Amino acid sequence: MSEHLSGPEISAWVAGERTPQSDGHMAACTECQARAVRLERAVDWFRGSIHAWSSLPASSARRRSLPAPARWTLVAATLVILAGVPIYRNVERQRAAEQARADSLLLEQVNASLSRPVPAPLEPLLNLVSGESQ
Amino acid sequence: MTATETPAGQLQGFDDVVRQYRPRIFRFMLASTYDRDAAESLTQDCFVRAYRNREGFRGEATLQTWLMQIAVNLVRDWARNRRLQFWRRLQAAPQPDVVREWMPSPDPTPEARAMVREQVAAVWEAAQSLSERQRTVFLLRFVEEMDLLEIAAATGMKEGTVKVHLFRALEAVRERMGKSK
Repeated sequence: MSEHLSGPEISAWVAGERTPQSDGHMAACTECQARAVRLERAVDWFRGSIHAWSSLPASSARRRSLPAPARWTLVAATLVILAGVPIYRNVERQRAAEQARADSLLLEQVNASLSRPVPAPLEPLLNLVSGESQ
Repeated sequence: MTATETPAGQLQGFDDVVRQYRPRIFRFMLASTYDRDAAESLTQDCFVRAYRNREGFRGEATLQTWLMQIAVNLVRDWARNRRLQFWRRLQAAPQPDVVREWMPSPDPTPEARAMVREQVAAVWEAAQSLSERQRTVFLLRFVEEMDLLEIAAATGMKEGTVKVHLFRALEAVRERMGKSK
């Protein structure tokens, strides 16, 4: 018997590219037959599995491929984030306004304190002196 | 010749055409895209296009081949429009449970179960690694069981080109099976 068919020759034979030599060898060699059968059988099984996949009802296929709880969690999380952005911005804006008001008040107090001619405890005395002079 | 025997006559009862060929077209779309929603949408597009172009069906090929030709073109356009996204999806597509669990016989032994799973996985992975044309030819030949001339008519390739793609696809499968041993 001639040498066994090579891997590519087995693939070619299964693909239908057959010559009198490859047919003759295949008819006589159980080992090459087994290799060709193994390849054909794997492809047949693949076909069977694809047929089963495509026959699956759409609803059950969707349950398998898309886990609904995860999807809804994602949707809910997105909504929370989208709703939270304006709230967060509003809170930030309010906080900034309060801070500005507090800063302004403090500045007024500082200005008032600096503009006094005498310290606060001496102000009644100053008022008295200025009253007498009038 | 009666109306239903003419090429256009075969498309008279379009509901029947859809009922008869939809499973096959959907299966091809699903195996080509690995995406159930896309497959549903493309299958619908296929029949819409067939209906709009029904006057163009001259009966040079069978109705099945004509519909498959439309399906192949739609898949090609779909894949080209989403080239990167499609490639990524294809590379990452895991076997659905129904494919992983599928068995050719009802009560296989644990050894037979393991062998079927291993070999189906090898073909699945090999199919993912093929070029778009190789995969189309492979699916039409080995999933849809079309002959070489029908494939040539559906894809617009020469018969010799179909043979080359088929050979390369089978080589990829054989090599992948060798690796998974």
